[in-house]
Amino acid sequence: MTAPVVSVSGVTKEFGTTRALHEVDLRVEQGEVVVLLGRSGSGKSTLLRHLDGLERPSAGAVEVLGEDLAALRPAALRALRGRVGMIFQRFELVGSLTVVENVLTGALARLRGPRLGLWSYPRSLKLAALTHLERVGLLDKTYQRADQLSGGEQQRVAIARALMQDPRILLADEPVASLDPESSDQVMRLIREIAADDGLTVVCSLHQVDLALDWGDRIVGLRRGAVVLDTTTDGLNRAQVMEIYGRVAASTAELMAIETELGDVVAGTTVRDGQT
Amino acid sequence: MGRLAGHGAVLVMLAFGVYSLTTLDFSWSDVATSVRQAAKVFTLMDPVSLPPPGDLAYLIGLTLGIVVLGTLVAALISIPVAYVSAENTTPAGWLRVVGRAIGVVTRAVPDVVLALAFSLTFALGSSLPGILAIGIHSIGMISKLFADAVEQIDRGPQLALRAAGGSRAQEFWSAVFPQVLPSWIATVLHRFDINLRGSAILGYAGVGGLGYAMKVAFADFPQGYGRGLGIAAVIFVLCVVLEIVSSTIRRNLLGIDAVGNSLGRRIVRTATGNRPARRRPSGGAPAGGVEAALRRPWTRSRVRDLSWTGAAVVVVVASYWLADVDFSQVTWQYVLPTVQSFWPPNLGSHTLGDFLQALLVTVEVAFGAAVLSLVLSVVVGSLAARNVAPNGAVRGVFRTILVIFRGVPELVLAIFLIMITGLGDQAGVVALAFGGVGLLGKLVADSFEELPPGPERALTAAGATRGQRFLAATWPRGVPSLIGNSLYLVDTNIRAATVLGIVGGSGIGFYLTNASTVLTLHGQVTTLVIMVVLTVLAVEGIAAWLRRVFR
Ligand SMILES: Nc1ncnc2c1ncn2[C@@H]1O[C@H](COP(=O)(O)OP(=O)(O)O)[C@@H](O)[C@H]1O
Ligand SMILES: [Mg+2]
Repeated sequence: MTAPVVSVSGVTKEFGTTRALHEVDLRVEQGEVVVLLGRSGSGKSTLLRHLDGLERPSAGAVEVLGEDLAALRPAALRALRGRVGMIFQRFELVGSLTVVENVLTGALARLRGPRLGLWSYPRSLKLAALTHLERVGLLDKTYQRADQLSGGEQQRVAIARALMQDPRILLADEPVASLDPESSDQVMRLIREIAADDGLTVVCSLHQVDLALDWGDRIVGLRRGAVVLDTTTDGLNRAQVMEIYGRVAASTAELMAIETELGDVVAGTTVRDGQT
Repeated sequence: MGRLAGHGAVLVMLAFGVYSLTTLDFSWSDVATSVRQAAKVFTLMDPVSLPPPGDLAYLIGLTLGIVVLGTLVAALISIPVAYVSAENTTPAGWLRVVGRAIGVVTRAVPDVVLALAFSLTFALGSSLPGILAIGIHSIGMISKLFADAVEQIDRGPQLALRAAGGSRAQEFWSAVFPQVLPSWIATVLHRFDINLRGSAILGYAGVGGLGYAMKVAFADFPQGYGRGLGIAAVIFVLCVVLEIVSSTIRRNLLGIDAVGNSLGRRIVRTATGNRPARRRPSGGAPAGGVEAALRRPWTRSRVRDLSWTGAAVVVVVASYWLADVDFSQVTWQYVLPTVQSFWPPNLGSHTLGDFLQALLVTVEVAFGAAVLSLVLSVVVGSLAARNVAPNGAVRGVFRTILVIFRGVPELVLAIFLIMITGLGDQAGVVALAFGGVGLLGKLVADSFEELPPGPERALTAAGATRGQRFLAATWPRGVPSLIGNSLYLVDTNIRAATVLGIVGGSGIGFYLTNASTVLTLHGQVTTLVIMVVLTVLAVEGIAAWLRRVFR
């Protein structure tokens, strides 16, 4: 048995008095496509940010690609981040730069020193960037300003930027939340394709059950920072997911006041399916 | 309680301003006398003339070269200073403090003082003291505005690069700098305009170019005044022309519309019919595979960007050549002693009382000028406000008056500088008051126009006259911002009065001139600059307090 690619154990994260994550356990195996499901504020972004070392847990440990993030020195942490690609709801491209310049910034972790402008990257990287752009179907937009592209196109540029990292893991934080249904479909299909072709491990947060069922191998449901659902999507339908959610919701509402009991409820209703 | 103290403070400051005018022996008859004196000079001087074309071209080239290079030096140094100063890019908290301190100190030391202090280290007639003086002094403004722009960017792309494993420096150059590049260029161009205006005064510190030629001409009393005025006119035209150029660049290159009300910007706006700047779509579709896509197509935007870059390089190289920069003119063994000589601050053979007395004179000039500006601005500014002026024609006339006041001071200042030596502090007061009306009058007009119209409408409905409406509704609501703007004027006046004092040999500027030309007296320069900075900070503190009280 190989070691998991991502291993989160007992992670709690507090921002002042807000508890964003509550004793989260999560193991992700090589090649899995895991969907984090949960309403806004349930802790999806915070969990993803922990997987890239952008947040440090208040308690618990995060291991990514066999490395304990808390033990890494800054340079090693940057190198690790280089192997973890991340895409965002709002794409986060530099709008005034060209598409290809944005893609090239994905290679920064492998380069020493800052870069400014196309000419500052070696030819081999430029070729790689163009190859990734071709893969996401945007080779014809190479030299356009990023902010002149549609939302769906911008997200595909962001994917190409992530590919530029040669990542082992792809983290996606609500990648389609600001896209129309057609572009969403295109983006999610691309992510799945890349995951299959490159053997990438994907952790992707979504807040719509239907999308999660369509695109995930496995669904991890978050509620108020706690994992309340963890199951493969095989044979699962929307009603079942909603039912589990509904049950948790009702019970939680009743037992909210008593924290220990909340823990029990969470444990009792979770459909555990760690191994795939 | 707070309000009462606030009212008290405002009254005290007004009283101090009026008192300043009396102690500076300021009276309208004096002004009349000096106007008569000026008239006499005008009759005795040679006819207004320009230097021969060759000389004129050389002087213009030298002036522009020094200002371009000085501004460029400041622009480049401002990048690392802003990098450590901005909260979202600084590598460490203490560096942030250092960066902001560099900004405050460089802004506080007048470029004239720097030019005088550097003159030792360089051969006579070298352009390097001027370049360095402009370069160091301008860091303050450019780095502050640049750091503010960095703090206002969209943090998303920066965090995305951090998530991808980028270092802080990589984040800055790949995600932050491209976002703030337009505002950096705009700030630098704006500073260039200011430095060009200031170069007239730098001439008085011996920095070559039009300013120095003007000084030499004016030294030849009274015949040379004709030549002096000719050069002053050239400086004025040059300032307006380059302001038009820089506004145009900002418009076309950066999509930033010409704003503000200085003369050059108004001309740009009129000439372009006030159309908003347009951004053309860029990019193109390379056909045929990845290899082919390596070649970037020659799109309009690429050609345009490259042309601008090329033009900028040409301007810089030309400036280097025009300014005749020659590093062999540096007396290297003086460099370190010059820098060291500024520390520690000391009083030399003077007493703190001497310095305080001089500072008081400078502050009196600043306050006296501010009071004069205030009185005139309330009248002119009110009549330039849409909701106060009786009709559009009156508003138009007074708006135009304000534009002239704002556009002309470069020249007016220059003319007054001539008389300052003879006239002393009154000339400084008049020069500052004149420019102040342009600034404060516009702020008054704008702040009145921004008031919500409700109360005036209510009074009109109740049958109040125009005057009643102004006194009961407009004026009371406009006062808080009037106080704030007046203190802002006092603040800029103190800095300006210091520089005028350097030229006219009065107030704290008198001691600054004496101390900055002798290496062993540089400790006094530091003392004097600290005193000015503390005074300005005190005024800013009072302004902040009053803003809170009258909010
Ligand atoms: N940097 C932060 N500072 C304070 N509170 C935060 C911060 N980040 C997230 N939170 C809080 O943590 C909770 C989870 O947020 P988030 O992970 O963004 O949820 P989601 O992505 O599922 O919408 C929310 O209550 C949010 O307000
Ligand atoms: Mg989120």
